Amino acid sequence: MTQTVLDAREDRWNRRKAVAAGLGKGWAVLSFTLRLPAFLRLKRRYESISELLFDDLLVFLGGKGIESSFREFAVHGDGPEGTCTVRANPLEVKKLCVEFEESHPWGAIADVDVMDREQNAVGRSLIGIQPRKCLVCVSPAAVCVAGRIHSEEEIKRQVDEILSSPPFFPSERIIRHISESAGTALLLEAAAAPKPGLVDPYSRGAHDDMDYFTFLASASALAPWWGVFARKGWNSQGKSPESLFPELRKAGLRAEKTMFAATRGINTHKGLIFSLGVLCAAAGLLAAEGRPLSAENCTSCGASIVKNIVEKDFSGIKQSSADAGSLTAGEKLYLTQKATGIRGEAEQGFPSVLHAGLPELLSGIQAGLSLNDAMINSLLSLMLSVEDTNILSRGGKEGEIYVRKTAKEALSAGGMVSEKGKEAVRKMDILFSEKKLSPGGSADLLAVTVYLYLLTQASG
Amino acid sequence: MKAVKDSAAGSLESSDVLVTVIPSDGREVSLSVDSIVFKQYGARIRSVAEEMIDKSGLSGASVMIQDRGALECTLRARLETAIERSAAEK
Repeated sequence: MTQTVLDAREDRWNRRKAVAAGLGKGWAVLSFTLRLPAFLRLKRRYESISELLFDDLLVFLGGKGIESSFREFAVHGDGPEGTCTVRANPLEVKKLCVEFEESHPWGAIADVDVMDREQNAVGRSLIGIQPRKCLVCVSPAAVCVAGRIHSEEEIKRQVDEILSSPPFFPSERIIRHISESAGTALLLEAAAAPKPGLVDPYSRGAHDDMDYFTFLASASALAPWWGVFARKGWNSQGKSPESLFPELRKAGLRAEKTMFAATRGINTHKGLIFSLGVLCAAAGLLAAEGRPLSAENCTSCGASIVKNIVEKDFSGIKQSSADAGSLTAGEKLYLTQKATGIRGEAEQGFPSVLHAGLPELLSGIQAGLSLNDAMINSLLSLMLSVEDTNILSRGGKEGEIYVRKTAKEALSAGGMVSEKGKEAVRKMDILFSEKKLSPGGSADLLAVTVYLYLLTQASG
Repeated sequence: MKAVKDSAAGSLESSDVLVTVIPSDGREVSLSVDSIVFKQYGARIRSVAEEMIDKSGLSGASVMIQDRGALECTLRARLETAIERSAAEK
């Protein structure tokens, strides 16, 4: 081994100790390197492999609810190395790191060391696990390495074998999970019935220009877009969340075109492209940072992506344009009633979803309701708190008061739990449809609620 | 060459070794070896260390070796550096 390599190792060790010494209570430091002999480790080819593995490690830990911070990846004299701090019990995190080394298809070449804040290396023996096996044979790795038991060719062949297996990086898996959660949420929301005033499989609600099949066509056309948003979030790691928004909006406009083509010009999911686009990007960003994909983290990250959007989008609106009739419905409502609609909801971190829609959905499911019935109850509770510009533009303030009053009555009658509640919901459906009241804003937030539910069910 | 100050070289990373030198009274050099591969290579590590200590002329020190499966060349380099650092005037 050359002096450069030896110096680099000692330097890394001392840096780790310095980081460990500065750790707060409840934190540990992780050091990631390649478990390869120097003749392989120092080759360019292994730099990107190493970085992917390090990313995957943090996604893996994030999925287990472990937050990481101060992440750094660099190539020094000893080869590629990743460092970060993690908020976790050092013994617990070591167990998870061992699980990663042993379960990831390429984990055999990953070496993850843990150090506690007293600067102790937390090794396998401390968690009662056998020493690590050699890359090539079944002896303890240290015996083969120290004794140079295997030839370079033998090791190289084994490493090539390991790297020839498909990696199934969690980073890919997590993007797919985010994307599928969003895609499924659109379908589940469309299928839930009866939805007062809204399109469902049995009724067009207050609409005469679209039906359930229009929604299926739209959901199916939009399905590939959610992964695009998630990946944009993933790739923006390290930048300010705000700076991501212009790019998301551009993609959102293209997604709208896809939607209009599938629905022949009917607006089914325009509002949802905005909300879910932002929340898919938020989840991607969280995953890249190794942070848990909880509903709270997602919505607050979403809020920072759309920071100041109400001000940015609405401050330029003038009465003169309103007179000239060139404003959108949302812009007009802002001008006349200061209604901020979905922009306000997103900017505040989706409070209606966090405090009404999601708790109602979860308590319904826990109480043994079917997913359909839990979704309808969730929709009712959303109607109580959402500033729904679909309702405001068609029914005005009066319409809003009416929607909230009837939703409240249905919920206090037990919602989908009781016959009386179900009857109230069916009646709402008839009355909303007659009065042409369509709570589309609440429906969109029901889809957001379902998305967060699916996302947090099985992340990682 | 008398050890005049505490010194260390190396690390506790896998396939490395941490060598620590602490000055002591008298001319004796005491050596302790701890290794995860002691059963296989303990005797060899000890004889390499004794040889390096003799060659350097180190005296009045206790030398502690914590081995994590280092190659012999690594062990030699770490011993040499730790002994140099321990004797260096500063």
